[in-house]
Amino acid sequence: MSDRRASSARAITWAARRALPSLLSVALALTVCFVAIGISRADFSVAAEAFQQMTWGGLGDFPGFFRDRSWALLTRPWGESTTKAALLVFTGLSVSVAFCVGLFNIGAQGQMTLGAITAAVLGAYLPLPRGIHPFACVIGAAVAGSAYALLPTFLKLWRGVHEVISTIMLNWIAVSLVENWLVVGPLRASASGDLSRSGTQEILSSAELPRLLGGLSRLNAGFPLAVAAVLVVWLWLSRSGNGFEVRAVGLGSEAARTAGIAVHRRTYQAMAIAGALAGVAGGVWVLGTEHKFPATLGSPYGFDGIAIALIGQNHPLGVGAAALFFGILRAGGTRMQLLGVHKSFPELIQGLALLFVAGKMIWERLLIRSQRRAMPSAEAPRA
Amino acid sequence: MLEVIEAILFSTLDYAPALIFASLGAVLCERSGIVNIGVEGMMRSGAFAAAVAALIVPTGVAVSAGMLAGAGLAAIHAYLSIRWRSDQVVSGMAINLVALAGITFLLESRYSPTGTPPIAQLQRWNLAGVEAIPILRVLSGHSAITYLAVVVALAFHVVLFRTPVGLRLRAVGEKPTAAATLGISVARLRYASVIGSGLLAGLGGAALSTSTLDRFEQHMPAGLGFIALAAMVFGRWTPLGAFGAAAFFAGGNALRIGLASSAPRVLQIVPQGFLLALPYLLTLLVLTAQGTKSRAPAALGVPYEPESR
Repeated sequence: MSDRRASSARAITWAARRALPSLLSVALALTVCFVAIGISRADFSVAAEAFQQMTWGGLGDFPGFFRDRSWALLTRPWGESTTKAALLVFTGLSVSVAFCVGLFNIGAQGQMTLGAITAAVLGAYLPLPRGIHPFACVIGAAVAGSAYALLPTFLKLWRGVHEVISTIMLNWIAVSLVENWLVVGPLRASASGDLSRSGTQEILSSAELPRLLGGLSRLNAGFPLAVAAVLVVWLWLSRSGNGFEVRAVGLGSEAARTAGIAVHRRTYQAMAIAGALAGVAGGVWVLGTEHKFPATLGSPYGFDGIAIALIGQNHPLGVGAAALFFGILRAGGTRMQLLGVHKSFPELIQGLALLFVAGKMIWERLLIRSQRRAMPSAEAPRA
Repeated sequence: MLEVIEAILFSTLDYAPALIFASLGAVLCERSGIVNIGVEGMMRSGAFAAAVAALIVPTGVAVSAGMLAGAGLAAIHAYLSIRWRSDQVVSGMAINLVALAGITFLLESRYSPTGTPPIAQLQRWNLAGVEAIPILRVLSGHSAITYLAVVVALAFHVVLFRTPVGLRLRAVGEKPTAAATLGISVARLRYASVIGSGLLAGLGGAALSTSTLDRFEQHMPAGLGFIALAAMVFGRWTPLGAFGAAAFFAGGNALRIGLASSAPRVLQIVPQGFLLALPYLLTLLVLTAQGTKSRAPAALGVPYEPESR
């Protein structure tokens, strides 16, 4: 009985210790950005108000709700936060699954682009009944992303081409071919003559991801799907034999090989899943919010995925938490525009947080030092 | 026809320096064993800082502000990856994200969302001797930065392959432990190269905003930092190779823009997207062909730990 309590206490301290560098980094990034607004406006009350707007814009406008009793003041921000968080969950998980098998998937951007264009095409041109259509599109997006992630994996295992360089190249190949050829060329919607419209043909209404709160919010089925993905990836990596093998390959492929693990097969499998997750991000983006492939992807979601994966300390649940946090921040960021603060501000917070997480060793050194000071000689220093 | 060719060559020479400096910077950094995918962010900060400085001081002086801005970001990258042995790809990516969002923020809060006000462009030099000669006359009428790009590439080549410092730099990138046993300070050389690469990338960015154009625009450098990485790989991590690859990619880009204006029918057969994808595709093919015989420095991306063997 007490044994179990001790082990669960240990699990909690383990989780806290693992999360601490990220939490401190995010806190530091928020502080730096607060000061940045304050200095650039020479007025810290603007910064305070901007942060307040960001909170209400992300979590729901509670003061307005208690004043007017209008649910839309809460559900609209929720819709914005969750749609943004869902994309960050998928790209973050994509990068993090690749990390688990020891590869750096910088290619989430390209995989997402291919997933998005596939979903846009299947959604617009494939006549299917309402119940099946979104599934077919999401699966198509996953397959496209998956295939595009298997290419650099193949080049790595076959020819030793480093995946960081090859996925950077593949990102730009995907962007060039999709945004500068397909979307402005063969798949362009404006065949009907309206030249002002950009992007591909709108998807059929049967392919749209259902809105869960109807007209009250843009909250769509992509968010529950993202939550499910977090749980499935977490269970797969931490509770299944297959996931264990994947992590073993990531921690040391030679050791894994001697233990009889099929290293190449696990690598292909993990990268296929990573690509599928990034592809689904594209699919959810098209089917849930845009309803077509607009002129461009617009935002470096794939690179955001790297930030989310690392701020989430590469743990599926951490990725979920980080994605939700930054989704809320981004949704709130649009409200900051009211005060003349650019909506990309949350991205600055995210970038700085990643920079501070990159200096993880600094945090660890500081934490260890403060711990030593707190309880001297509690534990003999390890050699 | 001659005019078209000349126009394309001329715009190549105008556009190439940014790419050349950035890819030389990438070569310098990676030769010392530190991965630098933050080139894009360093270019962006260089372009912005140079344009902002040029609003106050003469443009020639402002270029050095761009270099310093690039070096500042590079110093962060160096500190994290050398002193704290952070993952170099993560730190480079973080620099890209910070530069992307941070400069958008500064631009918006100080100027306009689209770009800075126009500045005095760098003065263009007219070479008196060549102006009458067909084809060769495209060499005239560029800013000093264009000519500097050639000089820097040659000088870098000589330093890297013909001087003791260059030999040490290469040794540190190939086998730092061996270099350290000869009394070379691995950390100091790596700091110097990473910061030097920031200076070069910043100069490349400054070339965009002060020489190619006459202001900083919000989208700069629009992925040029990543093409610079491609040029580095394509040029097999050598200064002259990177120079050639950068010039080749810049020429391809000028050709694409030239075709769009002078022969739009060609672009109906070969869509622009294909031409845009070409440098990346070629790099990928070269990498695949080289395979494990790739010329990447052996210790690239591996943090140096003095106590390991």
